[in-house]
Amino acid sequence: MNKLLNYRTYLPALYFLASMGILIGIWSLISVVTHNDIPTPGMTWVVFREMLANPFYDYGPNDKGIGNQLVSSLGRVFMGFGLGSIVAIPVGLLMGASPVGMKLLNPIVQILRPVSPLAWFPLGLLAFKAAAGATIFIIFITSLWPTLINTAFGVSSIPQDHKNVATAFGFSTWRYIRTVVIPYALPHIITGLRLSMGVAWLVIVAGEMLSGGMGIGFFVWDSWNALSLEKILCAILIIGTVGLLLDKGFDALQKRFAY
Amino acid sequence: MNQTLAETLVDSSTSFHKIQTGTSISVRDLTISFKTPKGVYTAVKDIDLTIGKGEIVSIIGHSGCGKSTLMNAISGMVRPTKGEVIANDKVVKGPGPDRGVVFQNYSLLPWLSVYHNILEAVDSVMHDKTKAEKRTIVADNLNMVNLWAHKDKLPGQLSGGMKQRVAIARAFAINPSILLLDEPFGALDALTKGAMHIELLKLWNLDNRNKTIVMVTHDIEEAIFLSDRVVVMNNGPAATIREIVDVPLDRPRNKKSIAHDPVYVDIHDRLLGLLFDKFSIED
Repeated sequence: MNKLLNYRTYLPALYFLASMGILIGIWSLISVVTHNDIPTPGMTWVVFREMLANPFYDYGPNDKGIGNQLVSSLGRVFMGFGLGSIVAIPVGLLMGASPVGMKLLNPIVQILRPVSPLAWFPLGLLAFKAAAGATIFIIFITSLWPTLINTAFGVSSIPQDHKNVATAFGFSTWRYIRTVVIPYALPHIITGLRLSMGVAWLVIVAGEMLSGGMGIGFFVWDSWNALSLEKILCAILIIGTVGLLLDKGFDALQKRFAY
Repeated sequence: MNQTLAETLVDSSTSFHKIQTGTSISVRDLTISFKTPKGVYTAVKDIDLTIGKGEIVSIIGHSGCGKSTLMNAISGMVRPTKGEVIANDKVVKGPGPDRGVVFQNYSLLPWLSVYHNILEAVDSVMHDKTKAEKRTIVADNLNMVNLWAHKDKLPGQLSGGMKQRVAIARAFAINPSILLLDEPFGALDALTKGAMHIELLKLWNLDNRNKTIVMVTHDIEEAIFLSDRVVVMNNGPAATIREIVDVPLDRPRNKKSIAHDPVYVDIHDRLLGLLFDKFSIED
């Protein structure tokens, strides 16, 4: 049977379009109910096309293209997320491998983990004397935990069978880490990274609203001050789409390392 | 096809000679207890057992009778609470390369290819060999179990019997003088199991029957077919040795004809009696 002629080939795409249809339907309804206080999809689309026509323009500190804002936000997210991962993975390995390490560090993790990113912001300002540094700091500190906890869980749940192999064949510590700990924990670590990236992308908007200057969060706040709700709605859609793409990227990575 | 080849090998290799004689493993007054949340649990108690070089001994008993605990004490994965285990004239203080272990559930590392599963073990144990020598050892052992063609596969792509052959090849590759098999064929179907018995004896023959093999099993036929002696354990907790049964059947043994041998039938009945007397239902 010809795959291209079978309607099932197009089913996922059709479902996606239907889903977008529902979203636009609800959106239109809300616009009608609020007498266009919330701009209609059509009005937003016009603004969206203008924004995308020239995404990388730069007319001074308070007037930059959406592309520039996005690149700036992604840069901070990856910076904070990267630094967080560099700390979280080794500490997670340590906590998972050593019961003493777990008992000593787990209470700290449990206390700091639920803290709102915004509560860390003043400490970031104090430490870095700059809003940009503070934003990266809050992304770092909030994106730490999912990676750390998942890594620790992965390492601590290594099956006895695998440990027995290492014991029976006299594996050195390094060989054990290389052939058992890392490969077993890797899928868990990637799950942690995926969740951390989700958190980082959530936090960036709030962080940039506070820090100002540049970025997609700042763009949202700036648009609110300019009372351009169309731009805010565009930004929401862009934030959502980028978040989805980031998640899909880690999803692909996860599939690559599943045994 | 494979099986017939292996069978002729076992049946035809009458020209072997044992080089080594003497004691391989000596278990003295061994007691092993574990601390559990409910208190101290004694798995095995007062075990005395001497196994000669090149001997094949099976340990048989019901589930939870401490067979595996005794095995782990010989392999060095569990420390004695009382008494000691001596292997190759040295007190066992931990796992060592003179004792190769095959686990019940194969215990292959799922992210390493068949080839690398064996190579990592060889690499870990044989420090004095060159890289090329190690590769040759891995290749020889994979060829011995007829798995060279599958060397690049991951364990997940193999059948149960193939996985167990990899595990056996890995244990043989480090060339231990003692081979410890913990219910090695327990998870295999009857046909594969039969083929694996022949395979194991073939490897043992190829090495001039010098390797001591200790095997935990709950399969009476398997125990008789493979072993020189069968150790029957009492039920746990605090299991002891109930009796040691000699299997004076000539080698090479033939799977087909052995079942009708009166000696075999006698031993079979005796083992059944030892294992099941407490469980008979009164009419």
